[in-house]
Amino acid sequence: MLRILQPHFPKRLLCLPPLSNPQTICTNASSTTAVALPLPANSAAYVHLPFCRKRCHYCDFTIVALGSTTNSDSDPRISNYTKLLLREIHATEPNSDSDPLLKTIFFGGGTPSLVPPHLISDILDSLRSKFGISSDAEISIEMDPGTFDASKLDELLRLGINRVSLGVQAFQEELLRVCGRSHGLSEVEEAIGIMKSADGLANWSLDLISSLPNQSLEMWEESLTCAVAAQPNHISVYDLQVEQGTKFGYLYTPGEFPLPTVNQSADFYKKAAGNLPREGYEHYEISSYCKSGFECKHNQTYWQNRPFHAFGLGAASYINRTRFSRPKRMKEYTNYVENLENGSVADASSASVDLKDLAMDVVMLSLRTARGLDISSFVGKFGWDLTASLCKAFEPYVESGHVIGLDVKRKALPRSDFELGRDSDTQLAFIRLSDPHGFLLSNELIAIAFRSMSP
Amino acid sequence: MALLQQVSKSTIPSFQRILPFLTTVGNVRGFSAQSNQGSKETGVDLSQFPPERIRNFSIIAHVDHGKSTLADRLLELTGTIKKGIGQPQYLDKLQVERERGITVKAQTVTMFYRQSEDAPAYLLNLIDTPGHVDFSYEVSRSLAACQGALLVVDACQGVQAQTVANFYLAFESNLTIIPVINKIDQPTADPDRVKVQLKSLFDLNPDSALLTSAKTGCGLEHVLPAVIAQIPSPSGNSNSPLRMLLLDSYYDEYRGVICHVAVVDGVLCRGEKISAAATGKVYEVSDIGIISPELKSTGILFTGQVGYVVSGMRSTKEARVGDTLSHAHTLVEPLPGFKSAKHMVFSGLYPSDGSDFDALNHAIERLTCNDASVSVTKETSMALGIGFRCGFLGLLHMDVFHQRLEQEYGAQIISTIPTVPYEFEYSDGSKVRVQNPSELSSSPSKRVTECWEPSVIATIITPSEYVGAVITLCSERRGEQLDYSFIDSQRALMKYRLPLREIVVDFYNVLKSITSGYASFDYEDGEYQKSDLVKLDILLNGQSVDAMASIVHNLKAQRIGREFVDKLKKFIDRQMFEITIQAAVGSKIVARETITALRKNVLAKCYGGDVTRKRKLLEKQKEGKKRMKRIGSVDIPQEAFNELLKVS
Repeated sequence: MLRILQPHFPKRLLCLPPLSNPQTICTNASSTTAVALPLPANSAAYVHLPFCRKRCHYCDFTIVALGSTTNSDSDPRISNYTKLLLREIHATEPNSDSDPLLKTIFFGGGTPSLVPPHLISDILDSLRSKFGISSDAEISIEMDPGTFDASKLDELLRLGINRVSLGVQAFQEELLRVCGRSHGLSEVEEAIGIMKSADGLANWSLDLISSLPNQSLEMWEESLTCAVAAQPNHISVYDLQVEQGTKFGYLYTPGEFPLPTVNQSADFYKKAAGNLPREGYEHYEISSYCKSGFECKHNQTYWQNRPFHAFGLGAASYINRTRFSRPKRMKEYTNYVENLENGSVADASSASVDLKDLAMDVVMLSLRTARGLDISSFVGKFGWDLTASLCKAFEPYVESGHVIGLDVKRKALPRSDFELGRDSDTQLAFIRLSDPHGFLLSNELIAIAFRSMSP
Repeated sequence: MALLQQVSKSTIPSFQRILPFLTTVGNVRGFSAQSNQGSKETGVDLSQFPPERIRNFSIIAHVDHGKSTLADRLLELTGTIKKGIGQPQYLDKLQVERERGITVKAQTVTMFYRQSEDAPAYLLNLIDTPGHVDFSYEVSRSLAACQGALLVVDACQGVQAQTVANFYLAFESNLTIIPVINKIDQPTADPDRVKVQLKSLFDLNPDSALLTSAKTGCGLEHVLPAVIAQIPSPSGNSNSPLRMLLLDSYYDEYRGVICHVAVVDGVLCRGEKISAAATGKVYEVSDIGIISPELKSTGILFTGQVGYVVSGMRSTKEARVGDTLSHAHTLVEPLPGFKSAKHMVFSGLYPSDGSDFDALNHAIERLTCNDASVSVTKETSMALGIGFRCGFLGLLHMDVFHQRLEQEYGAQIISTIPTVPYEFEYSDGSKVRVQNPSELSSSPSKRVTECWEPSVIATIITPSEYVGAVITLCSERRGEQLDYSFIDSQRALMKYRLPLREIVVDFYNVLKSITSGYASFDYEDGEYQKSDLVKLDILLNGQSVDAMASIVHNLKAQRIGREFVDKLKKFIDRQMFEITIQAAVGSKIVARETITALRKNVLAKCYGGDVTRKRKLLEKQKEGKKRMKRIGSVDIPQEAFNELLKVS
């Protein structure tokens, strides 16, 4: 932690201008390439459990479809994969002494709830012995309706899992079918019942997808209402992305029938952004809503661009400022683990990370959140010039209401105060995208920000 | 002369008496270890070729009538290039020439030919010419070095508009014309009909026409004997002081400027000093030789010969095409030059990304080194920043220049709407020539009292069933019929006076399409004519965009304004704000469209923290923005500018 509080800049990167606070200004940052910023502590781990009954029609993520006939409790593909996963964890460099224990763990998939709890237990044991797990760690698992019962959930909770993300996606039988989900509405209701009645589950989230084929605004409102009625602490609302190579990709073109028009999907988004806060869910990230204090801590790692471990097929880690995606094919992943064990995988090194790249990641991720971009921290890391050109690029969008400048007390600043002064009079403390208009156009706005930073 | 012979003996080590005259020569471009000149010395004794054993000729034809193929065959026949080796259309060196099947740059090649074993050897210079109207300037330049021309006519298509134009160019240059009816192997070939056309249009003796198929080789054996028999030898005097015509020049990265020259009188040797009549500058000849088909150093060029000279010129700007070169400090009467390039079409050229200005500047500088026919001046646009106003010989010339900038120099450019040079007189009596619509005052205090626009005299030859459609087209384009006659029972020849503006954009394409591709078209410069012209402004969100302004005829302003607005609406993506697009003449809006604001562009999910994928997507989106030009708050893709160019 000491390292974070006392940034250590090599002299050639730091050019101190007069009249400025030397600790936070690095004027020539935009022209430098090497990173001399302190590394934040790594206290998060993502574990990929790729197994699904079958592939959903919109999904292009790394999964392994098991088929519906086998019993997942004894499927050797799952147990063999888990062994591989344990070997990967074991072969991974441990954190240094100064690194804290794991504060968040996220079992993502795939459908992690297909993995028998005793294997989850093995994984947690392995993580515990390698990195240590903080006693108040958030440990999340994704679960799909129809893949668990009350006792399975109970077992998982007893292992220390304390947060569930339930993949509901829709509350209409026909939409579930269109999506190719391996469950129907009755499984959804059963699963919600299990969540509500589970002892010791104080934190769970419900996932919905908007802009599905043939989805009407009425259906969407119904889904939102049902989601609220289920009383989760957290709701994720994803706007459908039609990915190449998926069944949807073959069948549909975004914005064209039977998919909703762009205007309709914007209305869906606005409906969620309007209704959910009325029910007490804060819109804290582009697609995330939660009751106060129930933000997903693990995802905060991503939005704040902090490092995280990742294990498993196709999983993406971010260590020493290096993003690394593991192989997506089982055979190559197996080779990767073997190489890791015999030491022939090069250690991720931070030597050649581009400062501007890092700045762009920070902008991209922080603008997804309601908190927005922290200006003084950004200036401190990436320099005044880069920040100023970003502000300049956003000026017209402050005018149009897509971007909001906030002061330290998070009070919105008038258009005239949206500027980055060189003195301490500057009121601008945060930049965020407005909800819903700025969020709805976040890609445009972030691309505009990118262009200003790296013309 | 004694000195000369000494030089030639010392520089030419051995001379072979039998053909081929050339020692085996590899690729002579670039550096050679044995020669400090860069070209390999060859065993060619040019002194063997006095003017009476030299013929300088070119091939002129309508596009696609087989000119380049015939040239290839003649090069093969004389052993200048090996049959089947190298690429077809040998003389079309530029990528753009090959892609479009057109010749842009004139090329020269020297061939050695002997009709039989014991017949004397001849030196034949073939000067290839471009086949498009825009490049008639290049044609007249090439013809200045010739005494005769092969007029190639397609046996199926017969005489076409360019045949007519090129015939007159050659005829006016007093060249001996040998008609060649080509493609006689084709099933629809009708050489007799072509003979009738040649007689009726050009008064050429039908019996003198050669019948050939450059494709099969049929009849080719008669071509070069006819050249020798009918075309006069160059008329220069070898004892007079040196006079050379500078035919062309290009810039070679390693050797500097290489001039193509025709020695009219006298002799030139390597090491001698020459001066240019136009500039008075003196240069030392560091290399001299023939082009056969690559540069072959000979150390000397004699009267009547055509070849190249390297003389340490730094830029092709010093080598004024049409200039007379002579020995330094020797007074000679300059040769009559030839028609200088006349710029008919002007447009602004801007880097598609503002920061690329230096790259574009460099590319244009390099390219104009080899295409001196483009005029370039710097200009500034409010919308597009710093760029260039370029003058071109015609629209194809402009297109070719754009394409070469992109292909050969990787330049990404935005071109403004091409304009022709108009003349305006204001109420205060001042008169201006306007090459850029934004120069035309929009201020009401400076009222335009009169205006003039350039016109052309167009020749159109079309099968008679399309005459009606052609007349309709020409009158839509404000044409005035000057002549209408039949060149045979099926073909009509029409002459029109047309405003240049009306043919600049898509006249030829439309003409082709309404005549199923059968009509041919060519034009020559006409006079300035009084007209009723207005400035058509394009406004984005109420702001006039100077780079999109154009000058149009008053009666067409509304239609063209509507087309511009529609094109822009189609090619500008929805953006964060609503965009209004307007076309206006003065304060009067003639067309208007709105692009509604973008509603949604969001990536909802970040799978398992895999932000690289998202980042890539946004990077791509950013790159897309980069390729756009931002005007005010509106991002305009390059295509939108390109589409505007297509509106007639």
